[in-house]
Order: sequence, then structure tokens, then C-alpha cells
Amino acid sequence: MLFNSIDYFIFLPIVFIAYWYFLKNKIKSQHVLILTASYVFYGWWDWRFLFLILASTIVDFFVGLQIHKQKTDRKRKIWLWLSVIFNVGLLGFFKYYNFFIDSWITAAEAFGYTIKSTWTLRVILPVGISFYTFQTMSYSFDIYYKRLKPTKDFLSFATFVAFFPQLVAGPIERASNLLLQIQSRKEFKTNQFTDGIKLILWGLFKKMVIADALAPIVDDIFSNYATYPSSTLILGVTLFSFQVYGDFSGYSDIAIGTAKLFGIELMSNFKFPIFSRNVAEYWQRWHVSLSTWFRHYIYIPLGGSRVSKKKALRNIIIIFLISGFWHGANWTFILWGAFHALVFIPVFLMGRNTIYKGTVVAQNSSLPSAIEILQIITTFSIVTFSRIFFRSESVTDAFKYIERIFSNFSWESYSHPLGYRMVDYFILIILFTFYEYLIRKDERSPFSFKNNIVRFIAYTLVIFTILLFYDDNVDRSFIYFQF
Amino acid sequence: MKRIILRGILYSFLLVLMLEALVRVFHLHKDYPYRYIDEYQVEKWVPNQEGYRVTGNRRQNFSKYYINNSGYNSYREFNPSVEKRELALVGDSFIEGFHQNYYNSIGKKIENKVADIEVYEYGYAGYDFADQLHLVSQYKNQFELIDHIVFGIKFENDFTRSAYKVEYGRMALESPKVRLMQRSKLIVYLKNIGVLPAIQSKFNSIKFSFKNLGKIRGKSKNILKEENTALLHKEYIENFKSLVKTYGFDKDKNTLMLDSSITPKIFIDFLNKHNYPFIDIGPALQSSKKPTTLIYDRHWNNNGRTIVAKEICDFILNR
Repeated sequence: MLFNSIDYFIFLPIVFIAYWYFLKNKIKSQHVLILTASYVFYGWWDWRFLFLILASTIVDFFVGLQIHKQKTDRKRKIWLWLSVIFNVGLLGFFKYYNFFIDSWITAAEAFGYTIKSTWTLRVILPVGISFYTFQTMSYSFDIYYKRLKPTKDFLSFATFVAFFPQLVAGPIERASNLLLQIQSRKEFKTNQFTDGIKLILWGLFKKMVIADALAPIVDDIFSNYATYPSSTLILGVTLFSFQVYGDFSGYSDIAIGTAKLFGIELMSNFKFPIFSRNVAEYWQRWHVSLSTWFRHYIYIPLGGSRVSKKKALRNIIIIFLISGFWHGANWTFILWGAFHALVFIPVFLMGRNTIYKGTVVAQNSSLPSAIEILQIITTFSIVTFSRIFFRSESVTDAFKYIERIFSNFSWESYSHPLGYRMVDYFILIILFTFYEYLIRKDERSPFSFKNNIVRFIAYTLVIFTILLFYDDNVDRSFIYFQF
Repeated sequence: MKRIILRGILYSFLLVLMLEALVRVFHLHKDYPYRYIDEYQVEKWVPNQEGYRVTGNRRQNFSKYYINNSGYNSYREFNPSVEKRELALVGDSFIEGFHQNYYNSIGKKIENKVADIEVYEYGYAGYDFADQLHLVSQYKNQFELIDHIVFGIKFENDFTRSAYKVEYGRMALESPKVRLMQRSKLIVYLKNIGVLPAIQSKFNSIKFSFKNLGKIRGKSKNILKEENTALLHKEYIENFKSLVKTYGFDKDKNTLMLDSSITPKIFIDFLNKHNYPFIDIGPALQSSKKPTTLIYDRHWNNNGRTIVAKEICDFILNR
């Protein structure tokens, strides 16, 4: 079920009313309701893959108990590896099997051997598999590192794994945050409810207006890049930067907002990455739940930055390559990760990777300084450039796209084959960026105006703009569903 | 909880009011002229109305219409005479041309190209071939004075019946309930951009699923339809023959206008075999480098209309 579908707007109020009206103060029944709702939500897409979620739930529930029970580190490690092998195995089969086979065949062909491609399978990628497997693994990791005690309540654990607001595209939660909230008794809070509705509205705006409106333009430019001049290719990848941001951060906002309706606070996933002043800050603001996952469960166990320079650089490269590979079974994503490692390393070596932590552009003023503007433009350009790898179908396409930009620079105005009025989209992007700048200090309060009338006007304009850009024919699925 | 519900209702009400105001201020909604059935059982627009037709959520296409004394969207009145040279364009919404300012219609474009000709556009959304021939026969006195008549046809839509009957279904759009709904420009707008139809179809599909749990009636119907396409085409040709037999068709004066890219070969062969003259606008539309239809609407845009007008001009001049 998609957040931006009519189905969801029928489904959500039903679950909400049942949760707060019929099952108030009945915590077990609330768990049953949320778990059932989550399975319906997921099964709406393909019920067969519910068994994978269930299997992952059972394995990690059992492994968690076993890790905790073991006296020796060796045995604890064995049980942890069981969880890792099972979850990575699921991912490996459903997401990477064909990629490995194809890569093996290509490599063999490079050495002169011809292998008929008969080993590839028609494997459907289950939606959200990369998200929930990482979430369940984090549970086993946290127990292993003694940050968490395992739960003996299977129902609440299953609810934690399948919690529908963040099941298919995150934020990837930690048990220490989500599971403990699920297990605690909740009271309906008006403020939390209204904050949730506001986030849902803002998320829908980002998805339906920014992402969906730009999608046909980006699709056209990337599909026909060989026929367009450099200026159009730059426009295409720039718009894609906004599209993917609107798409994914919109999803996260709706997820966080929906969770709030049920009295649960999920972690923030996006903190205005558009205004990052260097690449390191960008990674503190983009897909935060995944970045911190890698940091906690791979980077730090490898030694993080508290090892020799050489090893620290190795750790950075590993993290970015894995992050790229996590996004998809394609060399384009690995190159995307490698590119980010390359641009991150200089920032790290200069010791500037944490200087902007906890601050935001124009922290104590209303306007950014000239240096900050320059930094933001530079970072945005670097990140946008990397998106060519992220969006291209193949590595060859990505390099050809880049080659066309640099080999024969020419400037021509772009017109979409269907005659879209481009000025609408340019105005939209400018206003959106300006509004994001205004609210840059709190990603969880998109309508933080003190005056009631101003706030109401903001709601109206947001809904009005959603209508202005509503397109019944557009593919409404989220980009990150494919990961 | 009660406070929240009350606040929600109040906010929703205010929101609807604000949206209604915004839709009106920016004129994002379509205007709908009134229709009626005249004393000859011909469905047409009530004369002397004007308004605006809007296409696209953001008013990507905004055009003015004007219904003349004869009940059709046209910048001129229809006064045929023996002395003048006239051309009648008869057809559906493509000829009606609500999607372009009435003073820049196909007819006007033809008049700009061909000297001393008056073009009368008898276009009405939903007119099929039966409607068109019925109109010509009922207003025989007028049409006898007109020198050329071009019938705009689309094979899949226009030959589904073998005899004329008033389409009362269309007149349901004039019901007090529909007209009352149209007073809210927000509702009109939501309907036009597809929000309300999407909600409606969702509820219909839920209703259908509950009613037909376990049945696959819809599917089998579709399969049946595909298998019967050839038979259907034959039936349409029979309908064409029947209508021509009833109302007559002067091959020297009347011409059909069609797009061969969306017309089955069997019908084109039939027309050629029986010497029915026709203008094929398909190749010209297909070869255009610019789009020929509107973005959010399949009707011809200015470029499409210019091409169609040119094709008609060429035909008239070469006749």
C-alpha cells in the first residue's frame, strides 16, 4: 500500500480509530492491531513475501534470546553471525543473486570464456527487504554489544519488525528506540497528533508535488540523454537531485507523522541536506537512519577513526562501498558510493568532517554568509554530480552522460516532448528551496509559524499546490522501494 | 478527542472555503454551457452563452467559447445563401473546439486561407455519425444552401448505432443535482483534474469487490470483447450503411474526415471500394514534429488544428 494512495487514506483512519477508541489502554490488543495492520499494509503489495518478514522476525527473536543466554563471547558471536548470515542471505538471494551471476559471467567473458546465462533466476525484489533486514539485525547487534536486553514478548517484537509506517522504506529504527516505545503504555496527546498530521501533509507535498512533478522531466532527459545538449543534461541531474530528495524525505516525513498518530516517535531521517556545507555534513543530514546504522554496526566495530590514518581511510572506503551496494544490485551504485568516499576523504583528512555537527547554515542569523552560500553550492554540485551514477541504468550510460556534459558544452532551453510548461517547475523549485531554508532549524516542524492565521494560510497553500500538480497518471511508487 | 474532531471539522470547512476562493480567483475551473433538445430533436447548446474552457491543473490551456444563435461554438452566425460559398464542418468535440478560443477555430483558420468562404462549425461533444446525419436532415433547408459538408468521424466511437435516437443519457448532465454541484467551482476543478473520479472509482471497485467476491465476470467480458473486435468492426460498417440508407449521402457534396492511423483498414477499404470521398488527416498529424494534442487532453492543440485546417483547405482547393 502506498502512503500517497486512496487506499491508505481509508486504511489509516480505520486503524487510528480502532487503536485509540476501541483498544485504548489495551496494550496487547493494540499490538495485535498494529501487527495485523502492518501485515495488511505489506500484503497489499504481495502477501507471499509476508513469510520473509515473519521468518526474519522469528530468527532474530530467537537469536536475541540465545545471544543473551550465552556465557562465552565465542558462542555469543556464533549466534550473532547466524542472524547476520540469515538476513544478509535473504538480501543476497532476493536482491543480489542475479547481479553476482551476471557479474561472474561478464568477468569470465573478459578472460575469454563464454558462459551461457542460464543461472539467473526471475527473482522479484521484495519491497522493503533492505530496510527490515537491517532493522532486525540491529536488534541482534545491540544485544550482542550489551546495549539492550532481549524481549520475551514475541508479539511486541513482531510489531517492532513490521511496524507499517516505516516497514518498507525506513527510517531504519533501533530496538532501543522503537521496541521500547511499542512496549510502553501510550496516551493520546493532542500536540503529538497535530504534529503528525502536519508532517504527513508536508511529506505528501514533497512526494506529490516535488518528486512526482519532476519525475516525467527527469525520465525524459535520462532516457534520451544522447540527444540532449549539456545544459539539458545538467538540468536533468539537478532536477533529479530534488526529485529523489522530495521522494525519499517525503516518505520519511509521512512515516514519522503516521507513527506520531500512534504515539510513537521515530528518528529523523532527513535534516535539510540541501543546505550542507561540506560532504561530511551532507551525510549527517541525508538518510540519517542508514548512515548511523553503518556507523554503529560497521564503521565503529572496524575501529572507526580511532585507528591509524591508513585504517581509518580503509574504513571510510568500506562504509561508502557497502552503502552504495546496499542501494542496489548494480555497479552504478557501487561507483556512486566510491565517488562519495573519494570526496569525503579530503574532508576527513582536513579534520573538517565533524565541524558542522549539531549546527545549521545561518545558525544565528537570518541569511547565510557569502562563504556559506559558496559552500552550499559546491556541496550541492558535488552531490548532484554523483547522482548521475545513481540514476543511470548502467555504468556505460553514466559515463556517456558525463562525457556529453563536458565534451561539447552548449546551452539550449529545454522543452519536454509533451510540452510541459517548464517555468512552473522552476518557480516551484525556487519556492520550495526558500521554504525549506525558512524551516531549516527543525525538520520535525514544517509549519512552525506562531500566528494561527499564517499557519492556516500555509496549510491551504500547500494543499492548493498539491492540487495544482496532482497527476492521476503518474507512477506514484517511491524511488526507495526498489532498494 | 472531541476537541480535536471539532477543530478538524472547523479547519476542513475553512479550508474548503479558501480553496473554493482560490479556484475562483485563478479561474481554474471549466465553465459548462447549458444544453437542450430543440423542436427537431437535435441536441445542442442553448444559444448566446459564453464562458471559458480550462485544461490542466494549472490552467495550461484556457480558451473562450461563444455559443451562437444556432447553438454551436462559433465566432460567426450561420446564414447560408445561394450567392456565397460555404463549408460546414460537422462533428464532435474536436470540431466543437472548446479547447481553443472560438475566434481561432479550425473554421477561422480555413477562412484565413481560402478566400471568400464561410465556415460553419456544427460541432458538439459526443455527436456520432447518426447525430451528424440527423442534424443535416433536420436542417435540410440550411444545409442545401451550403456548398460542402465535411463530417469528422472516429470509427471506434461514431458507428455504434444504426439509427438515430435522442441521447437522454447526456441530458442527465442538465439535472438539477449536477447543476447544483457545478455551482461549487472547487468540485468542478477536483472533477476535472481527476481527484474526484479517482475517489469515485476506488469506492466503486470496493463495492464491486464486495458484490462479486470470487467472481471474474469483468475479466471474461474483456476477453470476449477482444475476440469480437473483428465482428464489431463489421457491425459498425453495417451501421454506417444503414445510416447512409436512411439519410442519404451526396458523394459530390459530402466528405468524411478521418485519421487513418486510428481507423481499421477494413473501413478504409470499404470507403475506397464504394467511392466515399474522405480526407485523411492521419499522415499530416503523425509527421508533425511538434505535439498535436494538448498535454492533459487528447484534443488537438493549436498546432493540431492548424494541420487539420490545412488538410481541409487542400482538399477544398483541389476539388
